[in-house]
Amino acid sequence: MAQHTLEVIVENSPGVLARVAGLFSRRAYNIERLSVGPTDNPETSKMDIVVNLDGHALEQVIAQLDKLINVIAIKEIVPNTAQPIVHDTQPDYQN
Amino acid sequence: MSQMNGASSLVASLEAAGVDVMFGIPGGAILPAYDPIFSSSIRHILVRHEQGAGHAATGYAQVTGRVGVCIATSGPGATNLVTPLADAAMDSVPVVAITGQVPSVAIGTDAFQEADIRGITMPFAKHNYLVTDPADIPRAIAEAFHIASTGRPGPVLVDIAKDALQKMTEFAYPSSVSLKGYKPKLAPDAQSIIDAADLITQSSKPVFYVGGGVIKANASRELLELAQLLGAPVVTTLMARGAFPDSHPLNLGMPGMHGTVAAVTALQKSDLLITLGARFDDRVTGKLSTFAVNAKVIHADVDPAEIGKNRFADVAVLGDLKHSIAALIPAVKAALAKNRPDLTAWLRQMNSLKATYPLGYDVPKDGSLAPQYVIERLGKISGPETIFAAGVGQHQMWASQFVSYENPRTWLNSGGLGTMGYAVPAAMGAKVGAPDSTVWAIDGDGCFQMTNQELTTCALNNIPIKVAIINNESLGMVRQWQTLFYEGRYSNTSLESKRIPNFPMLAEAMGCVGLSCDRPEDVDATIEKAMSINDQPVVVDFRVARDAMVWPMVAAGASNDDILIARETAPDWDSQEL
Ligand SMILES: Cc1ncc(C[n+]2csc(CCOP(=O)(O)OP(=O)(O)O)c2C)c(N)n1
Ligand SMILES: [Mg+2]
Repeated sequence: MAQHTLEVIVENSPGVLARVAGLFSRRAYNIERLSVGPTDNPETSKMDIVVNLDGHALEQVIAQLDKLINVIAIKEIVPNTAQPIVHDTQPDYQN
Repeated sequence: MSQMNGASSLVASLEAAGVDVMFGIPGGAILPAYDPIFSSSIRHILVRHEQGAGHAATGYAQVTGRVGVCIATSGPGATNLVTPLADAAMDSVPVVAITGQVPSVAIGTDAFQEADIRGITMPFAKHNYLVTDPADIPRAIAEAFHIASTGRPGPVLVDIAKDALQKMTEFAYPSSVSLKGYKPKLAPDAQSIIDAADLITQSSKPVFYVGGGVIKANASRELLELAQLLGAPVVTTLMARGAFPDSHPLNLGMPGMHGTVAAVTALQKSDLLITLGARFDDRVTGKLSTFAVNAKVIHADVDPAEIGKNRFADVAVLGDLKHSIAALIPAVKAALAKNRPDLTAWLRQMNSLKATYPLGYDVPKDGSLAPQYVIERLGKISGPETIFAAGVGQHQMWASQFVSYENPRTWLNSGGLGTMGYAVPAAMGAKVGAPDSTVWAIDGDGCFQMTNQELTTCALNNIPIKVAIINNESLGMVRQWQTLFYEGRYSNTSLESKRIPNFPMLAEAMGCVGLSCDRPEDVDATIEKAMSINDQPVVVDFRVARDAMVWPMVAAGASNDDILIARETAPDWDSQEL
């Protein structure tokens, strides 16, 4: 299984980390690595989540993450490709 | 804009959101809000337990299609809402819960009646808020109603610190809500509709697999048109009973663990599942790897995460079902005009199964009352406009099987969570939402003992529901599993409820009329008596045979191919051409 990195733009509001971490734990997905940092926009933060998931399971994680109201956009950084795959609830969102 | 305290801002926000009724109980942390509630146009119904408030909000929402509202204090008040909110989440019901929280300076100190209800509800609530600044109250309420009622509906909790209710603030209700991370899709992509129509014309064994989403989306009329256009059989899941008329010749009934042979087999043998607002729940699919192995799947749903969650979708139609089915109608019409598959053989097979294996039951030889007979008569006598709310257990399955549902929003039950105690408070909420309809709770003797306290609420607030207790003096569904899978070792499933409590007396004590019936020949007269009383809640203790079982049955984890119509009895597949 390849490692995939999800770049998740979230609203910078209290409890967001708990929402994301809780989702992974209750749906029984492992997080390999997680870091949270600021973005240029003070209203948002960026989470880099590394997961050991492929195919169907990865799609489910992305779909479930996308359902969190505080999750604004998800980019999947695919290994060995230049262009990230962008999963986005709001296609016109710029971060 | 006007100056007021946070509590008044909360009540003004609820009024602006269009709330006409809410169910709740006051307490310290939420007390500031109860002062403006006292003079508000919103009707507040004082329940006897917060769980009752939550299920009542759910029942109200399921019957009206509007957001149900419940309100409670911090700590135990809030935690008592956990079960009904989890229930609403599993069944996609739009509910907003308001809870008081300890003052913001006390949060995190294990203060008196502090519970982190936002954290507790995070795993299942569609969303939730902790408000500590009174200026945030109107926006939180507006967003909560927007989120609860759009997309895939669900429960949203707004927890408000007591000091935020007490402090002064400017009230301004937002005229619109825009959330960066939440844009539910209404209209489906044109290509998905073309692809779906294409698959439909290639199928010779299609079946409509209809879930509760059709009812949520108010898409029953569209479904009827589409089903008749294609002329394919329809199955309605436990959450979708009433989405398509039971009397319609294309309706094969309910699929799943206690589904009809025809409905289970239709899914199993189909070559195309036209899935509308259903989620391939394990109670429907049985062992997933053996479920409908030859079928392609069209999956229409408003929730992208449902697509492919349990079963691969060949075509995903993402959008509100009312829009999606409406878009499918002309597309399928056009596609059929070019290429109309012949469904006669398929329909003949399914109709033969329907005729050979209708739902039935054994009449007890000792003259005691068959629970199925009681439920069948309730359905017949009270008619298709009646709203039924069931508890959880055998009586729930019989209420789904033996009442004919002709209209959406007339069948309420706890499908996903399977919450015992749902029926009485849900019926109360339903009756508040539809005061001109007859509302029957069909409850188990076990379930009834979990939440019957709300009958006092009903009696005092002129909410004349009717309750049929299917009293088999046991936790019947669990007992059935003990009969089948634990060699009849009946560990802790006997309730002795034909002895204690005396249900009619209990009902009378709560201001209801209490009736009792234990002979088949008295059933009709008893139901008619109950139907004639409309100024008081009525409770009927139907004392039924203890050993009746729910059939057909697909054992948990078994394949749908192994459906049994009675103990150790499979359908006679050899005599069916499939
Ligand atoms: C809150 C809760 N506790 C336990 C269960 C497990 N359970 C499922 S059905 C059932 C028996 C219900 O008994 P009763 O209300 O008498 O209904 P019956 O099956 O006898 O018709 C139980 C205990 C449940 N679904 N919900
Ligand atoms: Mg019982």
